[in-house]
Amino acid sequence: MSIDFSIFIEYLPFLLVGFWLTIKIVAGALLLGLPFGLVLALGRKSNFFIPRFAATSFIEIFRNTPFIIQVFLFYYVLPFYGIRFPAEYVGTVALAAFGSAYFAEVIRGGIDAVPKGQLESAKAIGMSDWQAMQNIILPQTLPIILPPLTNQTLSLLKESAILSTITVQELTMSGIRVQGETFRPFEVFIMVAILYWALNETIATFMRWLEKRANRERGSNLHATRLKKAKRLETLT
Amino acid sequence: MNSAGKKTDSFLTLKGIRTTFGTTVALDNVDFEVKEGEVVCLIGPSGCGKSTLLRTANWLTPPDKGSVILNGSVVGSAPSGRINRTEARKLNSFRSEMGMVFQQFNVWPHLNALENVVRAQLVVAKRSKELAEKKAVQILIDVGLEDKLFEWPDNLSGGQKQRLAIARSLAMDPVVMLLDEPTSALDPELVAEVLDVLKRLTDEGMTMIIVTHELGFAFQVADRVAFMESGKIIEDGSPNVILKNPKTDRLRLFLDKLNTTAFAPS
Repeated sequence: MSIDFSIFIEYLPFLLVGFWLTIKIVAGALLLGLPFGLVLALGRKSNFFIPRFAATSFIEIFRNTPFIIQVFLFYYVLPFYGIRFPAEYVGTVALAAFGSAYFAEVIRGGIDAVPKGQLESAKAIGMSDWQAMQNIILPQTLPIILPPLTNQTLSLLKESAILSTITVQELTMSGIRVQGETFRPFEVFIMVAILYWALNETIATFMRWLEKRANRERGSNLHATRLKKAKRLETLT
Repeated sequence: MNSAGKKTDSFLTLKGIRTTFGTTVALDNVDFEVKEGEVVCLIGPSGCGKSTLLRTANWLTPPDKGSVILNGSVVGSAPSGRINRTEARKLNSFRSEMGMVFQQFNVWPHLNALENVVRAQLVVAKRSKELAEKKAVQILIDVGLEDKLFEWPDNLSGGQKQRLAIARSLAMDPVVMLLDEPTSALDPELVAEVLDVLKRLTDEGMTMIIVTHELGFAFQVADRVAFMESGKIIEDGSPNVILKNPKTDRLRLFLDKLNTTAFAPS
């Protein structure tokens, strides 16, 4: 089978439209899913039964059922209750819900990894649970959870392909349509694969940079920061 | 809350404290009182309940039974159900008045030395940033960390970390300090620098409860020494009596064991 390069040139713009929608959906799912994941993680750590039960149930249900079934439930069942939204929106929310369950577990793991004495010293000095969480625990959680958070984000991007099953015109769906017109599966899906790969590689590179930064902050003694510190010191003493 | 004149009535009172962990009895109906300005050292073999007793004082380890009273107000009373929001707020304000120092320092590694001392002043005491920083700098100078203001805790030695932890507590203007084996995790040559800071605090009249194995230090600074074993206070009295003329065989044995390694009061 020879490669028909004209397919690349002819259909790339069409695929890029789908690619752009994929980017928007994943960005939306992250924007919704990360904060909600934090809420779920805190809910799961709560001293109160109701938030703990609600968060745990949500996490366990969304982690232990196939994403495609969740998507079908969101897309086909909600209209029975009079809830109708465009497929992109339903897909984004479904992806956010699925992602948040995993994010919640990552964040919870990060919170648990902070030594117990940190919470104790915060409480002993008079901080409330929430103040301790905000000021002492969560900031220490960040460097711990960045690597697993990257993994989850990359997975989420790949899972977004499933939204093609509910008529969302994202990258995979666009690929299927081009293939239907051209009957050139190799050219089409290699293009689709490269686009997914490029986006994930970009995200991964950005996250690696973020990790390095997060680790460098603490314990850094760069000359510039030293000078700044010295200047502040003068005003204080 | 001035510490100028030592009062005779009890300042911090722990009444009928009983604490169990599973089937282990950590504290067995312990009554314990500290007067204002008094320095009390708690000694005893590990697992005797002295740390638990200290952690009961600020309700960090709530007991099954008993109550804690600070300066006439009830800090906590057990058994109690879930505490409501007002009670929680009250407890937090009591805790801010009781500085606690841990064996493992528990300084906050994501904040530099100054921020470690400033943060609770902002969040708990609601002081302005300016005031909090000014106070923090002064206290850090007092504990000898003036050239470490912007250092990260990871770059500090154990002794410096512990002095930072003490400074962090002092910034809240505590009326009593609770110290849980403050020098036990330190290299021997770093113990003195921390004890020096504590010594100065006792000279300033700070009310303190110190769980310690440093009998020499206890002898020097304590107004009272209490010996605990199996969740009970066995002997309680002046250091002269407790450390030199123990009444019970158990305490004599305990002192003998420590004396062979650490301390010989002459």
